Amino acid sequence: MAESICRTLRDGSLEGEHAPALTIKDTAASPFGFDVFAYVLSQLSSFILAGKSQSRVVVVVAFTRSPSFYVDLLKRRGLDVTSFHKWIQILDCYTDPLGWKGKLVESGNAMCISDEASSVTHLCKDVRDLDNLYSLILELGKGLAGQGKAHFSVAIDSVNEMLRHASLSRVAGLLSNLRSHDQISCIYWLLHSDLHEVRVTSSVEYMSSMVANVEPLNPSASGQRWDSENVSLLKQNFQKGKLNVRFKRRNGRVRLMCEEFHIEQSGINFTPVSSEDGTINQGLLPKVQFSLQLSEKEQTERAKVLLPFEHQGNGKPIQIYDGRRSLEDNKNEATLASTGNLQRNEASGEGEIIYFRDSDDERPDSDEDPDDDLDI
Amino acid sequence: MLPTGNCTFRATGIVKPSERERVSLVDALMSATKGRTSSFTRNVLSASSSQTPGIKCGPNGTFFVSSGISDLDKILGGGIPLGSLVMVMEDAEAPHHMLLLRNFMSQGLVQDQPLLYASPSKDPRGFLGTLPCPSSKDDKLRNHDPQQEKGLRIAWQYKKYFGENQQSFDGHRGSKQEFCNDFDLRKPLERHFFSGQRVDCVSVKDSPNLVALQDRCTTFLAQFPRNDGSISSVGRIAIQSLCAPQCTHSNMEWDVLSFISYLKSMLWSANAVAVVTFPPSLLSESFCKRWQHMADILLSVRAIPDDDKELAKLLTGYQDMVGFLNVHKVARTNTQVPLILEATTFSIKLQKRRFLVLECLNQAPIDGSSGASYGTSGSCSGSSKTGTLEF
Repeated sequence: MAESICRTLRDGSLEGEHAPALTIKDTAASPFGFDVFAYVLSQLSSFILAGKSQSRVVVVVAFTRSPSFYVDLLKRRGLDVTSFHKWIQILDCYTDPLGWKGKLVESGNAMCISDEASSVTHLCKDVRDLDNLYSLILELGKGLAGQGKAHFSVAIDSVNEMLRHASLSRVAGLLSNLRSHDQISCIYWLLHSDLHEVRVTSSVEYMSSMVANVEPLNPSASGQRWDSENVSLLKQNFQKGKLNVRFKRRNGRVRLMCEEFHIEQSGINFTPVSSEDGTINQGLLPKVQFSLQLSEKEQTERAKVLLPFEHQGNGKPIQIYDGRRSLEDNKNEATLASTGNLQRNEASGEGEIIYFRDSDDERPDSDEDPDDDLDI
Repeated sequence: MLPTGNCTFRATGIVKPSERERVSLVDALMSATKGRTSSFTRNVLSASSSQTPGIKCGPNGTFFVSSGISDLDKILGGGIPLGSLVMVMEDAEAPHHMLLLRNFMSQGLVQDQPLLYASPSKDPRGFLGTLPCPSSKDDKLRNHDPQQEKGLRIAWQYKKYFGENQQSFDGHRGSKQEFCNDFDLRKPLERHFFSGQRVDCVSVKDSPNLVALQDRCTTFLAQFPRNDGSISSVGRIAIQSLCAPQCTHSNMEWDVLSFISYLKSMLWSANAVAVVTFPPSLLSESFCKRWQHMADILLSVRAIPDDDKELAKLLTGYQDMVGFLNVHKVARTNTQVPLILEATTFSIKLQKRRFLVLECLNQAPIDGSSGASYGTSGSCSGSSKTGTLEF
């Protein structure tokens, strides 16, 4: 699934379409969103170097990590440092986002970034001005990729930091502007969903075409009391997790995919999900008003209820009621019916079917022969 | 006591065309048999209905315009009544509301009805290039069941076949311009339809509030005042994704609500209809409810999962489906009789990837081999079943 995400981002956008946008979402229960982000960044970078992707340049908007971190990250993945300045630009919103260092008396050398990183870094001193941020991103991208048709991709470290400094509508406006720009082939960002209201998270998801949700493997384990069982489950959550991806396809259908991942020293590894959880889409189809099934409990209850059958099998030949009965037989049946009633009352405390035969009400032989009324 | 005043009584079943009316006989019969006509029916001059294409006479003195999708017109009881506000609740995961909007806008342009289009993008005019073109008669081949068995045919899900009979009847009407066209989503609309003054585009993205949009709507609707005379022209307003997160007004919920009620009141005194789409998942619940109450016709679209085996088993035709359409409210003007629909959930299908159709949900036949009853095939009881049992 992570592979297919990277492939979709790599392939980029068609003419006249919005660029594919990925939201990587995580929570405190499974805080591995940044690992996934770093994975996507390194995968796409290797695609760029190999010349396989639509975009030729990546612009990293770094809010939560310093530019040197990213340079080291890519170095560790085996990408060639010397060629960095040809295809990567880092917009540094981490070192001095609000321009405070410039105001300090002893400013000194403000940037303590490594030499390798400084060649690809551009400092941003005011992250509250989103228009400025937008034009900086475009400038960096176009500067390397060139004007015209060449594409570049944008990776935003953390949308949470942007939302700290600007309102939701401004941030959403920036993201939609980036998506609709001709030269941007794909864009991806990280969002910690538990830091904001649901409305904010859903607005960011609304702006994206793919949502990758990082979830713990055992969601029930978190938040419970420490128990010997829970500890082992919790420990699992420290290293592993699930990645649930929702793709919004062009035809309007949503593709759901799931994968497990495992955090190791070298990075993150994805494996296909082990157990199949068949979820039924209950919410989509209209519900029938009748429940035609019985649960187990209901079935046993049903078996318990005695039905008001009157047996005639007590030695006498079974007579089918044909409208004419002798008084004797009537009496017999009446007594049977009453004893049947008593039995029922004792047997089941709960389900009762109280049955009064219609024919008990009428006098025997009352409406027997309508022809009697005729005067012949 | 004889009634006094200006009411004229129309004998049921007989429509006398006046001199000014050029009503074709079929039209007259159709409008007379539609709905119940009682002595309290408003006697509206139906002179304009046939002269202006794109407007159909409806029961109780209402006029309909087409939504651009013939199936939707049928579901709504003839079309969208003039003066009503249609609201479509979007699904954040699917662009189906755009399909509805496109057909609506194209239908108006093809019938020479001026259009006002507002969207949160910077360049709304660009969207006009994606509007579909009406298909020519040759392309319009309905999917007739190719399996013609010689022997006994069992009409499973027989209601499917009713619609086909009706279509063949309508096709022979032979009126010059159709009330509702079939749009080919793959062919773009010819440029001359939307160039020039006929289409007015507004971008709501960067405006600080909705005042500008409100003013544009006012000037647009002033062109179509409603009086008891004939209807000269009809206007259409299409507002896409009102309250989208990138717009500044998305924070100002009360202002947006007052804009909607203003629009509704303007529509009521104009010969126009408006379609507004909005993302309900991004609004607070109370405002979502208020918006829903404002609508005359309320629809919602939903995405469906891709390659879902459960749904494929439950629904026939799942492969062609792209989403669901729910009809929550249907407008009924000048009457107290509500429209009770047989079903409120419809599947949105793209026939041959070109034509938009809406179909009732049909549940797949029971798997006879396993002998299992409804819904117990492999899953626990209480799994979803389709029901056209809507009361």
